[in-house]
Amino acid sequence: MKDLKEITTRLKIAKKNLETKEVKNEGSNAASFGKALKISTELVAAVLVGSIMGFLFDSWFGTKPLLIICFFFIGVAAGIINVFRSAKKMNKNI
Amino acid sequence: MSLNPMHQFEVYKIGPEINLNGINVSFTNASLFMTISSMLILSLLFLGTKKKSLIPSKIQLITEMTYMFVAKMINDTAGSSAKSFFPFIFTLFMFVLFCNMVGMLPYSFTVTSHIIVTFVLAAVVFVGVTVIGFAKHGIKYLELFVPKGVPMVLLPLIIVIEIISYLSRPVSLSVRLFANMMAGHTMMKVFGGFVISLGVLGGWLPLGFSVALTGLEILVAFLQAYVFAILTCIYLNDALNLHH
Repeated sequence: MKDLKEITTRLKIAKKNLETKEVKNEGSNAASFGKALKISTELVAAVLVGSIMGFLFDSWFGTKPLLIICFFFIGVAAGIINVFRSAKKMNKNI
Repeated sequence: MSLNPMHQFEVYKIGPEINLNGINVSFTNASLFMTISSMLILSLLFLGTKKKSLIPSKIQLITEMTYMFVAKMINDTAGSSAKSFFPFIFTLFMFVLFCNMVGMLPYSFTVTSHIIVTFVLAAVVFVGVTVIGFAKHGIKYLELFVPKGVPMVLLPLIIVIEIISYLSRPVSLSVRLFANMMAGHTMMKVFGGFVISLGVLGGWLPLGFSVALTGLEILVAFLQAYVFAILTCIYLNDALNLHH
């Protein structure tokens, strides 16, 4: 019976740990690691999306090389902002 | 035996060709390995919860650990308000994890090494998060694209940049998983090919590399599933608790 009591108290502590945690952006080490992996592809993805958007707009409006150039650079800016934000978020947590 | 390192990613159909209104829905090896992964998950969870004893058996322990792992992850990154999305994130995590792990077995097929699979998963997350954001905040969700304290002159440019940055989420989510899995499996196959072509004399070094790479790939398989789930949690947190 002693074991059972111990397990009950442990369960209570575990449940409390789960419940009391409120919304917070800083996570455990593992969460930061996830953010670090996020950064690497973030830049490339934004450039890719920007270029694809520019290409689509070009073929819709018939302004062949103009919009893809603009949107490529906007995509680069978006990628840098993404990386900057992730890095700032991580920096805040240390 | 084929020495082509890309041969392992080939999709071929098993059984008869099925056509539904001109769409080819034949059963392929990709569908086979998705089914195997889902069945493995189902049997693990079924066996783990069949006999609920106070002192858990090994399989029950594994099941409880995965549950606790995902529950803690959601709590840490998305807060308690995201608790109702636990089933979705748990399913996503388990599916990606098991597809990656099943792909590590010899002669198997890695479903997640195809960008269309990972992109569909990421697109579901993306559309879901957007719908949740609009359902919770209404039109105010668009404030996500307007950072505070930006001068009016720069606003049109900033909004375009923010929209591209938002749209790049599913791309980065899917490309990361796909690229990691495909690169790893190609590399393993290349080193395996070296073992055969160098023969008994020089094949030992690449063989050692293959062993090390297998260990690394198992780590990557787990890590990528984890990253996929945790990023879903982070995006969910952005949608549920609107702030920059």
